[in-house]
Amino acid sequence: MEAIARIAELIQNGETFCLATVVESSDSNVPVGRKAIVLKDESIEGGFGADQLNTRIRDLALNAIKGNVRRIVEPESGVRVFLDVLSEESRLLVCGAGHIAVPLARFACQVGFRVTVLDDREDFAHPSRFPDCDVIAEDFTTALRDMPLGTSSYVVVITRGHEHDVDCLGEILKKGAAYVGLIGSRRRVRIVLEGLENVGISRKRLQEVFTPIGLPIGAESPDEIALSIISELVCVRRKGAAQARILRKAVGIGL
Amino acid sequence: MTDKEIFQKIMELKNRGLPVCLATIVEAVGSTPREVGAKMLVCVDGTLYGSVGGGCGEDQVRSAALRCLLATKKPELLEVRLTDDLGTKGGDVCGGTMRIFVEPM
Repeated sequence: MEAIARIAELIQNGETFCLATVVESSDSNVPVGRKAIVLKDESIEGGFGADQLNTRIRDLALNAIKGNVRRIVEPESGVRVFLDVLSEESRLLVCGAGHIAVPLARFACQVGFRVTVLDDREDFAHPSRFPDCDVIAEDFTTALRDMPLGTSSYVVVITRGHEHDVDCLGEILKKGAAYVGLIGSRRRVRIVLEGLENVGISRKRLQEVFTPIGLPIGAESPDEIALSIISELVCVRRKGAAQARILRKAVGIGL
Repeated sequence: MTDKEIFQKIMELKNRGLPVCLATIVEAVGSTPREVGAKMLVCVDGTLYGSVGGGCGEDQVRSAALRCLLATKKPELLEVRLTDDLGTKGGDVCGGTMRIFVEPM
């Protein structure tokens, strides 16, 4: 298979891998533009000819994947190779398809999230409200029980009632995710977190939930609140959860 | 555009028989408008998809890509300096330097 078709296929399948491209070369055996693909399972496809060079590239590529760092390396004097890390798409799961979900899903699509919206009300969880999103109209607990979440998953809980928030978070916090955020007033949030503690979710796990949700930009309208949540998601995706917490702490949230 | 959308677009253009160049920021020093790994596609008619920095340096990238598509057919490593004087009209004044790899797909 041609390299580009293979790359498109790997991205489509949600793989994380390193694409190594020769960008400068004084070695005629390794021409500029030559590519190798290194997968997480340490296999290499394509390659640069000499075994020794391939091994070196493979090791450098695996480090690049591990650290999520894109850079130029020089595996052989005079041969410079760009290591690009192509990752699984970030996925956003929105629990609750109400009035904030609409702009939130729209903004999230625009900044490159693959978006799923879940609600148990069919007229709210309706594809016409959420173009370009996967829309699920099903009971929260049932839908979430079988839904895989992982390190590229972001979850925003904005259901219509605190009992649904408890149902959603009860399932979500059993799994791992890059980000879990919960909307609500201090009182509502406290009720939800107490409810979750009562069903056996650890306090440490609950402290990891971003609540109140969103970066503090003074948002009031649904569109503004969606923007504040999206800002937080972008911050976590680009800089990590710790950076997003620093921004919150700076204005006294989540202390 | 996400990497996924970029590679989907390359496949779509190739399937339609349209030549396309991929430009990727491979090195960035100092202040640059986009990060290493950011990508842009340049079609043979000059159409752009994605971005390697808004206005900053993209004209230079487009010229290199068209040169590559229409003449040399070879990849090129381009250095883009965004160090115009602040007074320059429409100048690239970010202050940094980036290296962009431009390759025919």
